[in-house]
Amino acid sequence: MGLLTPPRALWWLLTNVRFAMALLAVLCGVSLAGVLIPQVPLNVRGDSAMEANWLDSQEGRFGLLTAAIDRIGLFDLFHTGWFAVLLALTAAATGAYILSRCPGVWLAITRPRKRVPDGYFENAPVRAQAEGPVNLSHLVRTLRGKRYRVEVTPEDEVTYLFADRFQWAQLGSLLTHAAVIVFILSAVVSKVDAFESPLFLAEGTTLPVFPVRNPEQLQVQLLDAHGEFAADGQPLDYRSDLAIYRNGEEVKRCSSTVNSPCSYAGYRFYQAAYYGFGAEVQVRDLATGNVVYQETLALAARQSSPHVVIANSAGQTVLDQTLVLTEELSAGDATYRGTLVTLPGGRLLTIGLRQTQDGADLAVFEPGSGGGTGIALLLAEGQTGEAGGLRVTYARQSMTPAADVADFPSPPEAAAGRALGEAKLQLSNVVYGTERASEGNAPAEPAGGPPLLTITGLGPKPMVLEPGQAATLAGYEYKFLGQREFAGIQVKRDRSDYLVWAAAALIVLGLMVTFWVPRRRLWARISSNGISLAGQAPAHADFARELRSLAAEAGARPVLTAEDDRA
Amino acid sequence: MANSAEPRDLGAGVGTRPARSPRSFFRRWLLPALVIAAIAGAIWFLEYRQDGASYDPSGRRYGPVDLPASLAPADAAVEAEQGDFAPDFLLEQLSAGQVQLSDFRGHPVVLNFWATWCAPCRKEMPQFVDAYQRYKTDGLVLLAVDMQEGASIIQPFAQERGMNFPIALDRDGEVGDEYRLLGLPTTFFIDRGGLIRSVFTGPLEERTGDTNVQGAIEPGELEKRIAEIMTPAGAAGP
Repeated sequence: MGLLTPPRALWWLLTNVRFAMALLAVLCGVSLAGVLIPQVPLNVRGDSAMEANWLDSQEGRFGLLTAAIDRIGLFDLFHTGWFAVLLALTAAATGAYILSRCPGVWLAITRPRKRVPDGYFENAPVRAQAEGPVNLSHLVRTLRGKRYRVEVTPEDEVTYLFADRFQWAQLGSLLTHAAVIVFILSAVVSKVDAFESPLFLAEGTTLPVFPVRNPEQLQVQLLDAHGEFAADGQPLDYRSDLAIYRNGEEVKRCSSTVNSPCSYAGYRFYQAAYYGFGAEVQVRDLATGNVVYQETLALAARQSSPHVVIANSAGQTVLDQTLVLTEELSAGDATYRGTLVTLPGGRLLTIGLRQTQDGADLAVFEPGSGGGTGIALLLAEGQTGEAGGLRVTYARQSMTPAADVADFPSPPEAAAGRALGEAKLQLSNVVYGTERASEGNAPAEPAGGPPLLTITGLGPKPMVLEPGQAATLAGYEYKFLGQREFAGIQVKRDRSDYLVWAAAALIVLGLMVTFWVPRRRLWARISSNGISLAGQAPAHADFARELRSLAAEAGARPVLTAEDDRA
Repeated sequence: MANSAEPRDLGAGVGTRPARSPRSFFRRWLLPALVIAAIAGAIWFLEYRQDGASYDPSGRRYGPVDLPASLAPADAAVEAEQGDFAPDFLLEQLSAGQVQLSDFRGHPVVLNFWATWCAPCRKEMPQFVDAYQRYKTDGLVLLAVDMQEGASIIQPFAQERGMNFPIALDRDGEVGDEYRLLGLPTTFFIDRGGLIRSVFTGPLEERTGDTNVQGAIEPGELEKRIAEIMTPAGAAGP
């Protein structure tokens, strides 16, 4: 080493088999550690606060070692610089090995050594000897019958023979090694070139795939989203019907599922998520007739809603519905979220819900009843009570999809001009997206009636709308266009896929060539006394047996050696 | 790294032909072939792939065009910057025909880049519709350039919202690129002389009453910017 210049020393190191083996052993060990030690989740990486919390959660498992493990990067092992260096070294060592072997292999294939010294027949690892006259032409025919390339060289009283078979198979191991480089290259390409963009689309809406100005811009329109669920509510499959646009033209229409993405121009559009609770709302300025607002809103919050059944003194059910609570009510020291209910005949009740530690209490208020608090009945979930000739059952508490919309258009006449205010939207009687049904498999006429959108915050009274229904308020028309579903679409392009396939093909091809068609080379020295054979082939080729068989084919009598006896 | 099953090679030296280095094969043939293939591939990629360009009926390519020499001094800066002449372009119009920015010279122009998928663009559009109704008789031109969408998507949107001003289609985004958009919406206020008087990136959504919508601008901001470009050409410098 002392005599080597730095470049030669590096070359020596990279082509050294022991170094390569050590490198592979270290990589295996480190990768195993990466599997056994929990790794920072993807959604946590990059957020220092979340990473700190995650590390705290690991202290219970690793104790005092947690900080040390974190410092050397074992919690994010596959993204550390030193792991990348290990991979790069492996690629460099493999590449150097291939380069160093190429000239020799090429030479051995195209210009193999056709004559060996006589001493080689005495000490070759694979050899055979036979005594007696040899039928040379028969031996040559036999070898050619076995697809050997044969060359015979007569010299004085001795004839030398060289035979070669599957010479190109020697490239097999190089192919396998090249596959390692291609695999690592594919990882680099994936890191540098891979594209991924999540889109969250409502039915009927469009989103671009790239930031604005990208000349390769694509737009994805969600035509329809479906969620299929088992009877127990478990999701079975999600599907989205998509239209893809480029340069303003629709270029593809397709369906995308989790396992069967839609593809266009090398990009894949995977179904990544489904969300069923959306409401499309339109606001029109009645003075101009123009739409001033039309959005599909994801109702991502949940609002408690009691299902209440009320029967009159004759036992007739006069109310059986899930109530959407729209107002804040005070009774004594307690605050309730409630709503006004009108029973048949015009009788008014206010029904409110108060969250408690054990659940929620339902309070029924009626003017003139309940003493100081005005409460006529106070019921826990599942309870029934009677008051004022009514039998009230708090059947269950359910959750209604809701959203507070900060920039919802307020009526112009109320605000003396165009204004945006906060409105609360609640969607009850949802017919799909209920984690049991989607648009495709929901009942045509749901038992609870059509979905109802309740909008509060615009005027003194809540606005309750069925799909297609509109209500006017101080110069604006508010219209509920219907319940809409959302789909999360993951757009991906990873051109390293092709390299991975190429690397896999190289490995398979290399292994097949190496094990199915191992290269065989044999040299023979033929004299009047007999024949000496020496050969080279991989160990699994069992070439010694073939040499003995060839000697017999040549008509000579095989001479058993000590090695043959052991065999 | 080496296959242990591989026998040690006996080496060269007894060949019948004169020895020729195997490296010469790579240097003479393989390497040049790879280089030629790479160059050919690059040429194909740059020259023959579709650029998505479209053309008007007379064969003029839609996209940025040179500002006619008669409309700006020879040494004038033509850039999408405040105080410079607005870069000219020719685009297909949603209704029919085409629209060229320089055709509006002598008119104040509000040039708005938008798209139907852009939520802030949807929010600010009613204010542009109102402003156009108020000032169109004074010669105000509102030119809305839609970024990379098609007529089938834009048409119903524009109709419902009463967008009765010219809507141009920048299908391949070249004009947006020329104007170096950082995002949508972006609005350029161009005076009667073709100079960009101000640029606004983001929604021109005015704060009203007690509401405090994040990012909303002060009331009257849009009016103020329009008033700047309504002044006669030459009345105010860039």
